[in-house]
Amino acid sequence: MKISTTKLFPGKKAIIVISMIGIICLLQLTFSGFVQSPSATANASNSFWLWKFFGRLHPLAVHFPLALLLFAAILELATIKKFSSALRPGINLLVITGVIAAIFSAVFGLLLSKEGDYGKDLLGLHQWIGIATILLGTITWLLLNKILVTKNESLVKYYRGMLFFCAAGLSITGHFGASLTHGKDYLSATLPWSADYTGTKAGDFNVASFKNDTTRLTKQQEAELNVAVRAILAHNCYKCHSAEKIKGDLRLDRKDMIFKGGENGPVVIPGNAGESEIFRRITLPANHKDAMPSKGKKLADADIAVINFWIQKGAPWTEGVEKSIFRVAELQPRNPILPLTAENLSNPIDKWTNQYFIKNKIAWPQVVDDRTFLRRVSLDLIGMLPKQEEVETFTKDNRPDKRSLWIRQLLNRQDDYATHWLSFWNDALRNDYTGTGYITEGRFNITDWLYKSIRSNKPYDQFVKELISPTKASKGFIEGIKWRGVVNASQRTEMQAAQNISQVFLGLNLKCTSCHNSFISDWKLSDAYAFANIFADSSLEINRCDKPTGKYTNARMLWKELGSIDSSSKKSTKMAQLAVNITKPANGRLYRTIVNRIWAQVMGRGIVEPVDAMDNEPWSQDLLDWMAFNFQQNKSDIKELLYLITTSSTYQMTSVGFKDPNKIISQDYKFTGMLRKRMSAEQFADAAGTIIGPLFYDSMVMYKPSHKIGDHPFARASLVVNNSFLTALGRPNRETVSTGRESQANLLQALELTNGERFNSMISKGAKKWQKKYVTSDRIIKEIYRQALGRDAQPKEYLVAKKLLGDTPATDSIQDLFWSVMLLPEFQIIY
Amino acid sequence: MHTSWNRRDFLRRSSAATIAALAAGAPITSFLSSCASKKINSSADTVILLWMAGGMSHTDTFDPKKFTPFSKGMMANDVLSTFKSAPTALDGVYFSKGLDSIGKIMDKGTLIRSYVAADMGHILHSRHQYHWHTCYKPPQSVTAPHIGSWIAKELGPVNPVIPAFVNIGQRFTLGEGEELKAFHTAGFLGNEFGPFLIPDPSSGLESVKPPIGMSIGRFEKRNQLYNELMSNSAIGEFGSDYQKESLRRSMEQAYILLKSPEAAAFDLNNEPRESYDVYNTGKFGLGCLMARRLAEKGARFISVTTEYEPFKNWDTHDNGHTRLIDMKKQIDGPIARLIKDLERSGHLDRTLVILASEFSRDMMVEGRPELKVQEQVNQPDIIQDIKNYGMHRHFTDGGSILLFGGGIKKGNVYGKTAEERPCKTIEKPIMIDQIHQTIYHALGIAQDTHYLVEKRPFYTTPDGLGKCELELFA
Repeated sequence: MKISTTKLFPGKKAIIVISMIGIICLLQLTFSGFVQSPSATANASNSFWLWKFFGRLHPLAVHFPLALLLFAAILELATIKKFSSALRPGINLLVITGVIAAIFSAVFGLLLSKEGDYGKDLLGLHQWIGIATILLGTITWLLLNKILVTKNESLVKYYRGMLFFCAAGLSITGHFGASLTHGKDYLSATLPWSADYTGTKAGDFNVASFKNDTTRLTKQQEAELNVAVRAILAHNCYKCHSAEKIKGDLRLDRKDMIFKGGENGPVVIPGNAGESEIFRRITLPANHKDAMPSKGKKLADADIAVINFWIQKGAPWTEGVEKSIFRVAELQPRNPILPLTAENLSNPIDKWTNQYFIKNKIAWPQVVDDRTFLRRVSLDLIGMLPKQEEVETFTKDNRPDKRSLWIRQLLNRQDDYATHWLSFWNDALRNDYTGTGYITEGRFNITDWLYKSIRSNKPYDQFVKELISPTKASKGFIEGIKWRGVVNASQRTEMQAAQNISQVFLGLNLKCTSCHNSFISDWKLSDAYAFANIFADSSLEINRCDKPTGKYTNARMLWKELGSIDSSSKKSTKMAQLAVNITKPANGRLYRTIVNRIWAQVMGRGIVEPVDAMDNEPWSQDLLDWMAFNFQQNKSDIKELLYLITTSSTYQMTSVGFKDPNKIISQDYKFTGMLRKRMSAEQFADAAGTIIGPLFYDSMVMYKPSHKIGDHPFARASLVVNNSFLTALGRPNRETVSTGRESQANLLQALELTNGERFNSMISKGAKKWQKKYVTSDRIIKEIYRQALGRDAQPKEYLVAKKLLGDTPATDSIQDLFWSVMLLPEFQIIY
Repeated sequence: MHTSWNRRDFLRRSSAATIAALAAGAPITSFLSSCASKKINSSADTVILLWMAGGMSHTDTFDPKKFTPFSKGMMANDVLSTFKSAPTALDGVYFSKGLDSIGKIMDKGTLIRSYVAADMGHILHSRHQYHWHTCYKPPQSVTAPHIGSWIAKELGPVNPVIPAFVNIGQRFTLGEGEELKAFHTAGFLGNEFGPFLIPDPSSGLESVKPPIGMSIGRFEKRNQLYNELMSNSAIGEFGSDYQKESLRRSMEQAYILLKSPEAAAFDLNNEPRESYDVYNTGKFGLGCLMARRLAEKGARFISVTTEYEPFKNWDTHDNGHTRLIDMKKQIDGPIARLIKDLERSGHLDRTLVILASEFSRDMMVEGRPELKVQEQVNQPDIIQDIKNYGMHRHFTDGGSILLFGGGIKKGNVYGKTAEERPCKTIEKPIMIDQIHQTIYHALGIAQDTHYLVEKRPFYTTPDGLGKCELELFA
């Protein structure tokens, strides 16, 4: 066989030089810490624009090596019999350009990896397989070169093998890369058998995993299949065929009823889907008169397949207690044993985090610097920015345990602490100074009781007891809001009490259940009424979707394990019984719910999310259970809980941001640190007050504790009546329970800040003050950066600001500088 | 049922959102799970709601009955209308005197004479207004969105620099202000879709121009400073976080809006004198003018109100006849002119104009004839004083609504009330969920549009049962 060479092919030296440069770059980038993106510190993020630009070329560049090398491999296959075919020079060119392109795109890729918030696991895979592939490519190239130069045919099979490996490696790398950009399920979600393909999720049951029709299902599989079938029936059929409504005399919510069938006879013929009426109906075209569901969407193909499979398998139905088709959280408290850790971790939260990180292969990110820490913890605990003096004292403090000491100090600032947490509780207990209901005395304010309770750090169980079995000062929560006129039965004040207590204290949604049996849980209408009866003088008539049913039930707890209620006693006695029962240590749910709320407040996301749905799966059951148990054991002390959380490295790690907010609430969320949070309306207003001047004055304060509130030259926003500024920045109207603020900015807010009278006149006044106080531009620039952002202006920032201010700053310019700095995300985000 | 958005939904939405974003729309990412359904063809892009706040009596406005002039000692029960009737552009259709200009354009729209408001017991205006604007009876366990917010959420702005939901003329510092706030909200849809409030149209421009006292030059410089500081700040530290992104986008959008030539639409001084004078019957008239200017520049939903203040404007607990003379003057010229102007500029075809009120009034009946509720006005059986001459009680069993443009049938009368007391609806009763769904239908928003809130479906109309009244369309 004659082997021809080509002039296009560079010499061995050139190959080695290019490869070495590429590989050195790769190694340098890989091991310099450059790519540890989520924990990237300031130096990495301020990288040169050109690197960023090259980084962003990665998604473009990657297509070259992929196409070139894959095509080379295909041509190599096509000419497998004859190495020196006419295609030879072309293949050679493809290989060399492919490998060079691969090296370049890898370098770009490493530059890019520091920019985005990519999942670590996937990124790691993509990165290392990519680098391995390049090494393969380089070897391929060297081999090919050797063949061409030495005409040594024995090397051809090695070269070809390498090339095919390389092509495979590229495909795999490409796949992970695409998953990073588009999401793991980008492709698979479009497949008909994908779970995402339909609205309904038929549990975790996968028909495709039972290819062989003749296999007998195990008991376990039967049970799973049964749950899947019931889930499909519940989502699609219960509305008309259950205890709620029995159309065509058919009920599908009970075993006996399903097999009994409806007015036209049986609907399920075990073992024969074709003969089963139910199967016929759900497979009819949607516009057919017999098609089911007659209202709502046609069943997804995957769901139909499950039903079909179930009937074919003899429609198995497990005996005994049926497993709920919904996830139900344990009620009991649990005290898991703290994991032993090799690392020197003293905070129990860190031990759990460590275990979680090991399990999920997450490296501990760095703990933030003093400045970032103090800003974060001050905003989180007392809702205010630290003053400049505090930052300096803190950074100079040499005590090794200074962070814990300062946290303690912040928590001891009772009024600052109470004023901050008042907003959180006002939202949750829908307490406000003004609002609907007050006009007709249908609502009561509990601010005085609430403020004092937070200030004195009232044990949480006591706090809950006083809200449920209230005094005059705290009755506003369970009394609800009563509008004049007739209201829907599900909104009478007793039902409001049942719903609000369930939501706020138990993370349980009884809202559906106040009208009808729930479609999203196992709770029944009668459960909601039984719970609401606790707040009624005499039993309420059960209304179903606002229609009286003539039925009544007694008063009882949602969980009978928590104790009984004496139905015959008067309201106040029943409420006192409830208060005792609900706060029992045995009610793990109460303590998990509050621990999760407090966690979400400081960490930006709950361990369980949404925080009002405590039946959802936590990302760490152990951590949640341990914290809840020990919180309860430790006198239900909220300040101690906050101390425990904020002193942990888990809290003090570099914060995390997400490009796609949907990932935060997703149930496969992975914890990697505190989520960046937007300042609340109150935090923003108070921060502005700390630096520039008051947005609100004492005269606007709606609640004045008898003593002086801190020593601030402005009125704290949580104490003033709601107004257009606070509304625009996200303070809710507290007509209903609200347990989370909006995390995204919007136009109305931006308009309020851009041309709103309140904000602009505040900074205008502040500018005059600063002009007198600091006089020179240099000083003003230095101070605004230090006070607002806690750092010095970087040279470029300084130049930009200086260009505006000139040497002798005018008040207008100072005002504009304030405005610009305070609207920076760096100011508005708690990071 | 979707429990959360999956990626495909997100991508699909994003592509639509990108178009808006190019024109500086805020990022429309949402935690809400939507259950979008098939698209229907729209006949309107814009809605103008002319809100007769406080309860407008049908028998003294668009559905007059036998007129009984005032005389001392007259029997209250004999009085059905306190004005003479006047012919309209439609044969055999009469309006109460004082609405002549609107009467002349009735060939351009539809008159509904059979609106039936809800029965909610002892009447409170703000509760009925809440119901009219959200389609839900308060209280609710989640905060129900205003119809304007639903529309803003589903369709976004027509012109990205004009807020999708503009609310003109209502102050919230008056009596029942808190109750009014309760429904002037986007509720669970999120602040982004809340109303852009212009309490007084004559100072509306202030809401959409640089801060008072700031020149355009300085405003531009300030924004440039902001952008430069932003690009030079240590912001990279925060990566491409969605929060940072939403802050940046919203600021950009605000800047574009405040600087845009469209902002001139809010400036009534730009209106030619002749036209301005026709509209200038007070705050409401000028509100109509602003609505027209905004509609022509691409607004989505505009509400203009005569303003609700207890015992003022349409809330006639006394002197009903006398006060209505003035109320009619306020609305008659501007509304007729609004319709004609929209028609002339070619916008009426795609703009749906609705005039409505939370309920009607009657001299005798409080609530419904069959279901009277606690009375709030002392009405003597024999009238001696003119102050007792008028429709002073709250009546829920009949009422008038006007519809123009947006695909609505022209020269049409729908429904009927009785000629004798009680002047209740006797033909084709129409309820609020039908009205809402009819509006949604005109805009191409499907009947089953809903979101999962705490896993519960929350529909545009309760349980998604609101039916569009197709007969109202041409």
